[in-house]
Amino acid sequence: MAGIIGITLFAASCTKEPLNHITPEESRIYITDYDSSVNFSSFKTYSISDSVAVISNSANPKERSATDEAYINAVKKYMAAGGYQLVSKDQSPDIGINVSRIYSTSTGIVSYNNYYNYWDPFYWGYSGYSYYVPYSYGVYQVTEGLVSIDMFDLKDAASSGKINLIWNGLVRGEGIFSTVNADAGVQALFSQSPYLQTAQ
Amino acid sequence: MKKNISLALSIIVFSAMAFTANAQQKSKVQLNLNYNYGLPMGSFKNDIISDGSARGFSGDLMFGINKKFAAGLSSGFQDFYQKYPRDVYTTGDHEVTSAVLSNSIQTVPLLAKGSYMPLGGTKSFIQPYVSLGAGISLVDFRQYLGEFGGSTSSGNFTAQGGAGIMIPFDKKGTSGFNIGATYNYVAYKKFGYGNLNSIAFQAGVHFPLK
Repeated sequence: MAGIIGITLFAASCTKEPLNHITPEESRIYITDYDSSVNFSSFKTYSISDSVAVISNSANPKERSATDEAYINAVKKYMAAGGYQLVSKDQSPDIGINVSRIYSTSTGIVSYNNYYNYWDPFYWGYSGYSYYVPYSYGVYQVTEGLVSIDMFDLKDAASSGKINLIWNGLVRGEGIFSTVNADAGVQALFSQSPYLQTAQ
Repeated sequence: MKKNISLALSIIVFSAMAFTANAQQKSKVQLNLNYNYGLPMGSFKNDIISDGSARGFSGDLMFGINKKFAAGLSSGFQDFYQKYPRDVYTTGDHEVTSAVLSNSIQTVPLLAKGSYMPLGGTKSFIQPYVSLGAGISLVDFRQYLGEFGGSTSSGNFTAQGGAGIMIPFDKKGTSGFNIGATYNYVAYKKFGYGNLNSIAFQAGVHFPLK
């Protein structure tokens, strides 16, 4: 028995544990998804909320910490690089962008079904409307938290009767709630979404 | 796959019975202990892990049927690991993920094994040998995108062919060094990946147990 235990321990000591051999930067992943039926070059203007929704079981406040501001500014920077013009939400933007921090809940699941609790469509001037997620990317299972950036089609909201989610970017991993990492995370999301360009 | 595993288990049971029966006749039993350097081959190398691994060992418990043939059981452990630089992967219809990809595989073979020494019984100081084995390998496959991942474990049919030389410590020749290599075929079909074949370069010692 002692021999078997010894061999097992020796084998375990010979194993190179993957999570012990990655840096915080390497731990981070950047995920994007989009509605392929949407022509992103048809949008010209966008507006972004000036605060971040904190999505968790315990509360759903809006905050604007230094990290939140860094993410919002990074989104503005890379939207500008794509040729999109920032306007206020009162100027009928084509795209509305929400930034959220999502933390682990007791169930570990957050769904777009509850999205209106955090981002009331009234904010975008569409009281009584509901959000519509056209692809099956609504449920998150998280252990530490993530940053979610959502783009909604406001240009066609009136004609379609709903606010369609057209793009989503997620940042997960160690150090994502750090101010110094926000720009690199948003840059990664936009660089792997080359279709986020307006027509010149 | 089920047929292969059944066949391998039958070989192991048969060999163990033969080993036990012959051991009771107070015949020669030899233990081989080896350090292994594993080198992935084929689709294992191309699709999962291309790096060689210095983290492995193996052991054989062999019964000498006569001066040329031996049969017994073989087991061991090999850890394979590789981290790939950040890249963009398609993870859904339109979903892409930028991540550092880490693959980690551990194999534990449980084999029935036979060996043949063409110069056995002669006065040759160096004894070359060839070996064949079959059985199963317990495979633990973990894959991570960044720090997020999962694992799967399975038992997979394994066949092994090997060759090498044995060099005795002294003229008596009961104990000595081993140097050799084995080619390991491990049938694997999961997540679109193919067989986990590898070559193990071995160096170690052998000594009699009785």
